[in-house]
Amino acid sequence: MQSVQEQSSSVHPPENVPHALLPFLRSQSQNTLTRLYQRPSSCLSIFRLLGPLERQLVMNLLWLESAIPTSTMTAWVVPEGRKLYDNALAEMVGLHIIQNSPAKLALNSTLKSSLRQAVTGGGITGSFGVPAERDDKRHAITTDTLDTYALERWEASIQTILHYMVSSGHGQLPTKPSQGVLYLLQRSELMKSVHGSPLQITSSGFQFLLHSPHDQLWSLLLQYLHMAEERQMDLVEVLSFLFMLSTMELGREYSTDPLSETQKAMLEDLRDYGLVWQRKASSKRFSPTRLATTLTSLSPPLPTSSTTRTAQAGSGSVALTTGAGQQGFIVLETNYRVYAYTDNPLEIAVLNLFVTMKYRFPNLAVGMLTRESVRKALSNGISADQIISYLTTHAHPQMRKNNPLLPVTVQDQIRLWELERNRLKSAEGFLYKDFASQADYEYVLSYAKQIGVVLWENAMKRAFFGTLDGHANIRAFIERRTGGG
Amino acid sequence: MEKASHLSVIVDLSPTQWYLSAQATNPYPLPIETFLSHLLAFLNAHIASKHENTLAVFGAFPGKSVMLYSSTETSTLVDDAPPLDANSYPPFKTVDTTMLQQITHELEALGHMEEEPPCALVGALTKALCYINRITHPSTSATSVAEDPAILSEPHILILSVSPDLSSSYIPVMNSIFSAQKLKVTIDVCKIYGPDTVFLQQAAHLTNGSYIYLERRDALLQYLIMSFLSPPSIRKVLAAPTQDKIDFRAACFCHKNIVDIGFVCSVCLSIFCQPVPVCSTCRTKFPLKTLQRLSVARPIPPLANSRNTPPLTSINNGAQRFIPRPANGGMNS
Repeated sequence: MQSVQEQSSSVHPPENVPHALLPFLRSQSQNTLTRLYQRPSSCLSIFRLLGPLERQLVMNLLWLESAIPTSTMTAWVVPEGRKLYDNALAEMVGLHIIQNSPAKLALNSTLKSSLRQAVTGGGITGSFGVPAERDDKRHAITTDTLDTYALERWEASIQTILHYMVSSGHGQLPTKPSQGVLYLLQRSELMKSVHGSPLQITSSGFQFLLHSPHDQLWSLLLQYLHMAEERQMDLVEVLSFLFMLSTMELGREYSTDPLSETQKAMLEDLRDYGLVWQRKASSKRFSPTRLATTLTSLSPPLPTSSTTRTAQAGSGSVALTTGAGQQGFIVLETNYRVYAYTDNPLEIAVLNLFVTMKYRFPNLAVGMLTRESVRKALSNGISADQIISYLTTHAHPQMRKNNPLLPVTVQDQIRLWELERNRLKSAEGFLYKDFASQADYEYVLSYAKQIGVVLWENAMKRAFFGTLDGHANIRAFIERRTGGG
Repeated sequence: MEKASHLSVIVDLSPTQWYLSAQATNPYPLPIETFLSHLLAFLNAHIASKHENTLAVFGAFPGKSVMLYSSTETSTLVDDAPPLDANSYPPFKTVDTTMLQQITHELEALGHMEEEPPCALVGALTKALCYINRITHPSTSATSVAEDPAILSEPHILILSVSPDLSSSYIPVMNSIFSAQKLKVTIDVCKIYGPDTVFLQQAAHLTNGSYIYLERRDALLQYLIMSFLSPPSIRKVLAAPTQDKIDFRAACFCHKNIVDIGFVCSVCLSIFCQPVPVCSTCRTKFPLKTLQRLSVARPIPPLANSRNTPPLTSINNGAQRFIPRPANGGMNS
């Protein structure tokens, strides 16, 4: 019961989901955050991660010299937006962006000066990365090369998970990911090794596969941050380096000289994930890839695998295929047939999670959604909503003409298959029985009904079942009664 | 998912008006240098808000309109990208340098002229609308940058105006407003200097934008950020300033005067300042009887409204009542 509820709440996010990094930042001490806010690039990145109303409030306050009364600020929003405003304010106080005082509100002074510096330019912090000297001997790296590199690295990590999942063995590893990546996957409990056996994918690992690359990247990075704390790395340096990467320009080379020791060590890890490109491990310069520069955007234009792959195959037809991959490749028919216009093993393997594959063609894979295949996915911890949302986000442009996008029959059936598994509900609680008289039984039962904790009752057996949290009350009630009478 | 937003800014860069604006006799003199530094900070704030936010800036110069900056077509405007600087965010740097270069270039190209032609505000507005149309329908243009079509940006236009109304541009302005309505583009207007403009008030009102007459001109940036930074969807929860009174008057088609009482052709809805026997637009003939009745009912012409007459163009003002004079159309004695 419990776990079902949690899953469904994670599948139906509210309209504006706060960024995954924000809870982590909130858990940090004021001291850490203030040190982080000293760097304009970090301020800019954190500002971008905030929700729209928060951003507006920060900007409103940014150029004010003095603190302003709370009542004035409340007047900035209409009464209907009051709840939104209160939430925004609480969020910002939690992040120490706004100094918490009952009467007057002002921005954190460190953040204020750094953000002002970021917006107007200037200062000497060098927080946006020191560009490397132009090197005429070597060609500048092109963005295409960077994209390919980032993708290859990134898919290598994802495919590690797939490798253990796809038993039929078309998950050959293009590049074996480094030990660091493997460790990270294990740490994040996407994969688990049971009693020294090879790594096994967990149910959160299955869910992870259906997320967008951006979410995947952030959940790995969050693990990295947790790990950094344990490895005694300075969190401020780690975070500010990530934020610096996110504000760098794609296709430029930056110098490693101004980086601290921690950050140089990070460079190695980030190279494994495909966030950073270096010519050689010992190179004095590095380039951020698209994965890194789009960290703070909500929907990154990460080159989808099918795009680059086709671009690589027919190198002349790059322009033709660009964009097609981003629009999705799945056609779902009312007869449960799935046509996937892709040759990417990763995408096919993900589909294989919940589709029975029938045929493979050079650019097309055909399969069926069957009760067995969907139940297999469900037993792996994937929810029906995740399947549906995956099919929706990757729908072929042709499908977009349909309204609703996916055939209703298929959607309903997937949900029904999920419900099939939920016939039994379990709830923890207490059974009350052996009442002395019918009156006693009814008296206690009516009280329990009043506080709404009765799950089951049987007047014949003079017994009823109450929830766990109701027990204390009922017990006290019975004791009061026996004590009093 | 929160959408990215697109902002097109139209800057009125009439040298005369900016010269007058900088005069120390004003309550809050605002020279163009200060204005530009405030504007650049505002533009940076817009780009800072979201990674996907796009920006275009159009300048309305005397007699011509120029695209000063566009986040999708930077390379075509400036020859070489500015060198990277470790202390500033590259996109901000690009905006700042491109804008300043372009404005300096255009203003120098103006040279000396006897009489300043009116600012091409309508031209800039039209260009902005065309630009928005192009980026919101990327499939129709082959040159557009690979943008995700699923994320349609929320476009809005901000007009920073210093020049008085140009009554000859009534029809083009109204047409732009209608296209903006159709494209669902919000037009915001910030009147930085000079008297209120009737047409821009209407533009803001008809497209659900805000019209702000700048009172404290030294606080320009704060005004800009608080009223115009957020995309239309967020404004629902913000207590955005609204106009308490809007001047809905129109300009007549015959003399381009702003009229209090106009005579409207019953067929094509053209507006005239006096009863005419034949509609000049659709050639409809009106019965003589009606004309006579209307002439009797007509108030004493012409009703010059002192608030909306441009006070600065009175030099060449003569009695050319029936000759349309675009430069000083509002003034008839």
